[in-house]
Amino acid sequence: MNIILNGKHRVVPEKTTLQNFVEQTVKNPDLVVAEVNGAIVDRVRWETTCFEEGMIIELVTFVGGG
Amino acid sequence: MTAISDPFTLGNKTFHSRFLLGTGKFASKGDLKASILASDAKIVTVALRRIDVDKNAENILEYIPEGVTLLTNTSGARTAEEAVRIARLAQAAGHGNWIKIEVINDSKYLLPDNEETVKATQVLVKEGFVILPYITPDLYIARRLVDAGAAAVMPLGSFIGSNQGLQTRAFIKTLVDEISCPVIVDAGIGAPSHACEAMELGAAAVLVNTAVAIADNPPLIAKAFAMAVRAGRSGYLSGLPAPKASGAASSPLTGFLFS
Repeated sequence: MNIILNGKHRVVPEKTTLQNFVEQTVKNPDLVVAEVNGAIVDRVRWETTCFEEGMIIELVTFVGGG
Repeated sequence: MTAISDPFTLGNKTFHSRFLLGTGKFASKGDLKASILASDAKIVTVALRRIDVDKNAENILEYIPEGVTLLTNTSGARTAEEAVRIARLAQAAGHGNWIKIEVINDSKYLLPDNEETVKATQVLVKEGFVILPYITPDLYIARRLVDAGAAAVMPLGSFIGSNQGLQTRAFIKTLVDEISCPVIVDAGIGAPSHACEAMELGAAAVLVNTAVAIADNPPLIAKAFAMAVRAGRSGYLSGLPAPKASGAASSPLTGFLFS
């Protein structure tokens, strides 16, 4: 299934949840914030949020800055 | 617990340190942590960026000690709307809602858009955020920010990363003298002497990033900055003597040996 993740097209397996994906991708899921189709999705809802065809996902975290 | 003798109150918190440290540009994250500890910085800035999904990198927060307040900047925002979006994302991370509003649409001088900064402040204060807006010092803008409920104003000393010191000193002084909330000088502080000068002018605190991050010895200069901030603050609190146009002898003008 095709989604747009952080501005780039990406293929993900069917039935992937936000929770699965973040856990597999980063060391500290607790420091990641997710936005789906322009709306912030709270961490408590990641388990029940499945990727869908064409979804626009943004995953952001803290980095150094002044 | 000992009372803080010169408490620095910002938002709903009180600090003993008036030195804020930025976390960008450090070549070594170990140096970042050591600099925070050496300077006793209790507020540090961070930014928000997209994660690199193909690289499981460590997170900057792992290098920020417990008990330090995170101030997330809205760097990357070119408009008030983008700054508001970043602030809401930062809050959703669950590490506080202290935001430095940084709205920049100029890649040469990195000057902030004061008008968009005011708009973002107005929206975010109403949503309960603690807002520290970064601006080119301007009295009208500062008054509007105070009216909007900003916790402080952060006037630049000179361009971000330029190490030019307090090019805007007269305008910083104006804000110190005329507005009622803390003035935190941010950007362009390139040496401990600049930080000291800012505090002597009456600034409540200073924020430094580049000068520490790119130093040969970041923890050493971070400690020097902290000492300079304390020196400048004590100077200000003591009441600095005004410069004179002519000389005034320091010993009595009578009882000379030779007369």
